[in-house]
Amino acid sequence: MLLSEKQITQLKRRVRETPHPREMILDVLHAIQDANGWVSDEGVELAAIILGLSPLQVEEVATFYDKIYRRPVGRKVIHICDSICCWSRGSEALMQRLQQLLGIAAGETTIDGMFTLLPTCCLGACADAPALRIGKTLYGKVAIEQLEAILDGERTEVSS
Amino acid sequence: MPTLIIDNQTVTVPEGTNVLEAAKRLGIEIPHFCHHEALGSVGACRLCAVEFREGPVKGIQMSCMVPAKDGMVVDTGSAEVLAYRAQVIEWLMTNHPHDCPVCDEGGECQLQDMTVAGGHGIRRYTGPKRTYQNQNLGPFIAHEMNRCIQCYRCVRTYQDYCGGTDFGVLGSRQRLYFGRFSDGPLESPFAGNLIDVCPTGVLTDKTYRFKSRIWDLQEAPSICPHCSLGCAVTPGARYRQLQRRRARTNNRTNGHFICDRGRFGYGYANHPDRPRYPLLGHRRVTWQEALAALQNKLQELGELFGPGSIGLLTSSRATLETQFLTKRWAAALGSDQLCFEAHPGRDLGARVAASQRLDRTASLEDVRNCDLAVLIGADPLSEAPMLALALRQAARRGARIVVVDPRPVELPLAYERHAVSVEKLGQLLRGLSRPQQSEFPSSMEELGGSLASALLAAKSPLLIGGTDLLGPQGTEAMQQAAEACSQPETPCRTMFLLAGPNSFGGALLSAEGPCFSSLLEGMEQGRIKALLCFEADPLADYPDRKRSRAALARLDMLAVFDCAATATLQEADLFFPTTAVEESTGTLINNEGRMQAFEQVFSAGTPLAESAGGSHPPRFFSRDIPGSEPQSAWGILGALMGRSADLLTLRSEIEKNDHRFAGLSQLEARGEGRRIAAPRQYSLSHQPNISGIMGSDQLQLLVTETLYGSELLSNLSSCLHESTPSAFVMLHPQDAARFKLEEGKKVLLGTPVGDLTLTLRIAGDMVPGMAIVPRLRGTVLEPLVPGTEPLPCRIEKA
Amino acid sequence: MRTCEPLLFKNRRIGETVFLEGYRRTGGYQGLEKALRDMTPASVREEVKASGLRGRGGAGFSTGLKWSFFPSDDPGEKYLVCNGDEMEPGTFKDRQLLLADPHHLLEGVLIACYALGIGTAYIFLRDAYRQCAANLEHAMDEAREAGLLGDNILGSGFSCEVHVHRSAGRYICGEETALLNSLEGLRPNPRSKPPFPAVKGLFGKPTALNNIETLANVPHIITGGAAWYKSLALTEKGSGTKLYGLAGHLETPCCVELPLGMPLGELIRDFGGGVWQQRSFKACLPGGASTPYLTAEHLDVALDYETLEQVGTRLGTGGVVVFDDRTCMVAATLNLLRFFARESCGWCTPCRDGLPLVCWLLERIELGQGTREDMTMLQEQLRYINGRSFCALALGAMGPVDGLLRHFAEEVEDHIRLGRCPLQA
Repeated sequence: MLLSEKQITQLKRRVRETPHPREMILDVLHAIQDANGWVSDEGVELAAIILGLSPLQVEEVATFYDKIYRRPVGRKVIHICDSICCWSRGSEALMQRLQQLLGIAAGETTIDGMFTLLPTCCLGACADAPALRIGKTLYGKVAIEQLEAILDGERTEVSS
Repeated sequence: MPTLIIDNQTVTVPEGTNVLEAAKRLGIEIPHFCHHEALGSVGACRLCAVEFREGPVKGIQMSCMVPAKDGMVVDTGSAEVLAYRAQVIEWLMTNHPHDCPVCDEGGECQLQDMTVAGGHGIRRYTGPKRTYQNQNLGPFIAHEMNRCIQCYRCVRTYQDYCGGTDFGVLGSRQRLYFGRFSDGPLESPFAGNLIDVCPTGVLTDKTYRFKSRIWDLQEAPSICPHCSLGCAVTPGARYRQLQRRRARTNNRTNGHFICDRGRFGYGYANHPDRPRYPLLGHRRVTWQEALAALQNKLQELGELFGPGSIGLLTSSRATLETQFLTKRWAAALGSDQLCFEAHPGRDLGARVAASQRLDRTASLEDVRNCDLAVLIGADPLSEAPMLALALRQAARRGARIVVVDPRPVELPLAYERHAVSVEKLGQLLRGLSRPQQSEFPSSMEELGGSLASALLAAKSPLLIGGTDLLGPQGTEAMQQAAEACSQPETPCRTMFLLAGPNSFGGALLSAEGPCFSSLLEGMEQGRIKALLCFEADPLADYPDRKRSRAALARLDMLAVFDCAATATLQEADLFFPTTAVEESTGTLINNEGRMQAFEQVFSAGTPLAESAGGSHPPRFFSRDIPGSEPQSAWGILGALMGRSADLLTLRSEIEKNDHRFAGLSQLEARGEGRRIAAPRQYSLSHQPNISGIMGSDQLQLLVTETLYGSELLSNLSSCLHESTPSAFVMLHPQDAARFKLEEGKKVLLGTPVGDLTLTLRIAGDMVPGMAIVPRLRGTVLEPLVPGTEPLPCRIEKA
Repeated sequence: MRTCEPLLFKNRRIGETVFLEGYRRTGGYQGLEKALRDMTPASVREEVKASGLRGRGGAGFSTGLKWSFFPSDDPGEKYLVCNGDEMEPGTFKDRQLLLADPHHLLEGVLIACYALGIGTAYIFLRDAYRQCAANLEHAMDEAREAGLLGDNILGSGFSCEVHVHRSAGRYICGEETALLNSLEGLRPNPRSKPPFPAVKGLFGKPTALNNIETLANVPHIITGGAAWYKSLALTEKGSGTKLYGLAGHLETPCCVELPLGMPLGELIRDFGGGVWQQRSFKACLPGGASTPYLTAEHLDVALDYETLEQVGTRLGTGGVVVFDDRTCMVAATLNLLRFFARESCGWCTPCRDGLPLVCWLLERIELGQGTREDMTMLQEQLRYINGRSFCALALGAMGPVDGLLRHFAEEVEDHIRLGRCPLQA
């Protein structure tokens, strides 16, 4: 089940009620992603049914946005900012260390399915550079030495 | 009307014309990729830059995005502009493979042309190129995404122009992907246009792949023979094989595009079973022998039974020249037993349609520009696919499209739908003739009345009718309705869908001549002893095959002149092979009365691929070209009449003889064609009435055309077979429930031609009480012919 | 140390969010009340025009002038769209405002809608700003409860609905017409102009588009008056305060509200804590990633719209990003260009294919593989991409390249001459 019957019914009702159903594409995709971590092909097909569009029409929009994941991701996505402010304060070294610690390259997911590492553009945390976001938590002024503890904390948070 | 100066030449253009188009009027081609006459300007490729020296805009701008204004002085070739364009090409080439020598687009590649023209010869970028996985887009189109230059033409054509929803653009930035959600055949029946609009080798004709380089093709302007619209096409042939068709531009008819039936229906000309030799009985003979046998038999019959014993039949596939000479020859023989269509309903329908006032007749261009179109008994995608595309263009501009039909009608656009049974169409048409009336005796008439009021109020109203469903009576009623819904400033135009590419020509020439039923009667009574069929297939096209078979069996001589192995050919005593459209010249008159000439593309002959058994070069040599015996039907007729075979002389004679064909001799295949000068005179009064009210629990059988599988010639094109459905019957959900039948299951349909086992389809979008079957040649449904009144039938589980 | 009484940041306490009660305590919604009670929509527009407020989103177009093109008095559906797709690197001011004080924006949106005769507003927020979205949703609930949002606001007869839209990434969505497409659920490629959004915008209807900070200034213009607001700026042509971002190689990066027209050096020294690690100032982006660099010779320059234009750059979003003397400007520029190339929507050739080519050239130069020919090519790219792209993204992207070639040509040439980056050990 990508979405509960109730969620589907609610979304369909909203689609019916809005004069511009297409406006809801991202809302529907977000709902599917929030529930499943990513949007699978079946997710695109479900969104298409909810929205009354073809899967291709949904896919055209879904593949445009980098924060709609069309490939499986780990339980938590690590977005590490690679834009200018964070770059100026050591994000490249941070990225290297993260890859070492996780044993994966950018764009990959750890073998245990816990983390996916994705470089991202500016997170709007320039005063707290270098910054990264893990799941919904934003980490600022991250020192290389802190990374292990941060990752451990995130792992424990999931398991607890 | 702004006046501007482009490259020192002054031009005045209509308000709203952009500078790129204005330059074109001066014969100046500004390099571009994303602009397309039919698709408009979007400013994506940034190649069409020009320099504005004077006027409201200054500096370097994209000519496609700047509307022409008074006082502009434009330089399309300044040093800065040329250097910039070379840069754009360099950008586009950074990811384009250097595979021109093996690319399917080579020779007709806009990118190749622009790269050479732009002076970009040396690649400075030496980094890696982006690559893609291709998709299987079905039988028609090959996909090579690595060659893409992201001009967005394909997606604009497919989605915006054609209304398809299964092909588009994915991703972003330098990683765009033009394709489908997943592998699979493209769903739009206009998908083939992607081949023409793609400026590189991304989307190419799969059926033509690896056959020829384009400079080796023989090409000439031609007309598509697969429906009555007469779309302009350019077929290409090589080694005696018709290898492809692409769209040609005619702004009055198809515009820039064609449908997939037209594009991929070409295979009939190469069909391995195509009869290419004269036959006497089943014996191959020489032309001389065959002609002598024919002449002798005709003379004998004429002497014994009089000229009335010879019947002549042509069809809507025959050219105007063939139809005219058939008529001439009938006169020369002294026979009045001449008919231009084997299907009496279609014959009379076309005669009525061809009698419409010319100023009330709509072209496809008129359809594209209408603001209200009411379709009654017309299923465009099945009967005249490009009409659907024209309607879509009207809808995109805000036109209201109303479909009144018993069948489920699919259109690539939003439209209003009224499912109305065949017998109630008459009531509706009555209401349609009364735009001013407020009280109606029935709801159907009231619906007609409300549509009539809307037509009366519209700026460019249009009534579109399918003659198969309307019948001659309904066609006439629609003409009357159009009259009633017309105002001096806003005439309500009509468009009628006819059976074939030259139904109109036959209708003009047939005068008050007999229908084929009366010829059949003559055969049954033994009055008619010989039937000469010029590109006509009465066995397949006369609705009652049992009757026609029996009647033909009584003939002393059945002579068939055709380019396809028809049902009638199987019964013929004498056979004469004729040329395919692409192998000859001639004139066809489309459903709006537009005479259109076509040129010869190549000479008939067995394709080398077949005659050489796949080996190349050929291992044997002869003076004769294998399979080259087919001759144009009008050429054979000329020979039989001992006339010269000169086309120009023939056309001059036709126009002198009949003022309606004025201008025929000046007709250029490359032009837009020419409307006939006057409609036919015709009155239906002596024809039988349409009735057919049946018991309410009696299921009625309606036979209709379908996109692939109904039309004779395209059905012989092997590349369409994958897209042709297998035999099915459609029922309304209510009826399916009534007879306890399930979607997708086999059912037994009891029809006048026997019990047929078919797959059931359930369609909510049709009238209840009706079983709908497509005409599908080569299946159990073949004997069922559209254009007849609904027949009683029964249905049960198989 | 020069400071000013904060307007937008008056309720800002780091780590806290002020909601309706706190917002009202410091005069919140008095602007809306005044506008609805004492002013006609036209007089609100007049006041904003007289204030000299310029768009804070980057382009710096006069807000009053933009509003004067809007068919405010035409009946029929019209929209206000608030652009909160703050994604330009070095820019984080709108986030600060929404984290601290969401009602500020809401009041601005409502006054703008009143002034422009609009009944429906959309606030378009980038995906990363989930907390901001939550704050806004909460603020809207409070406002609705208090009769400040919805039907018949404050009994004035004016009604307005506000929707918060959560985006899903992509810098191009900040381009106003791409944003409209995104809102409509279409691919966010920019639209061609004309028609301008004020004529044909969201769902084909007239649409006013303003940045978050811009709208948050409006309540203060209404309460304090245009003349007072204008007088807040340090420069003669400037107007009001500005949320300056301070990031990069500084001791204390921060976001701070100051009078418009702060001198660059003073801002860095007094609020950024000076260049970090006792290094010296080499260059900065004055207003986000798309603005050409300023160098040490520009430290006295006032950060306002006009002055920066005179020195060949722009105030942009007001996000100052400082580089110390150990920074390789080729590498910095490459980082910026990789961002822009990655964020291109892919619509037009110069942006889609030109920016990656620029990245390739900068990469070669930075890696010491560059040639004189590459330098020529880089100059050609600047010349041919600038002003030839469909929207302003590529133009902005070339800002840093422009700055690089203008101020640091020698450094680029050193890379080529030495066959390595001179700043790397």
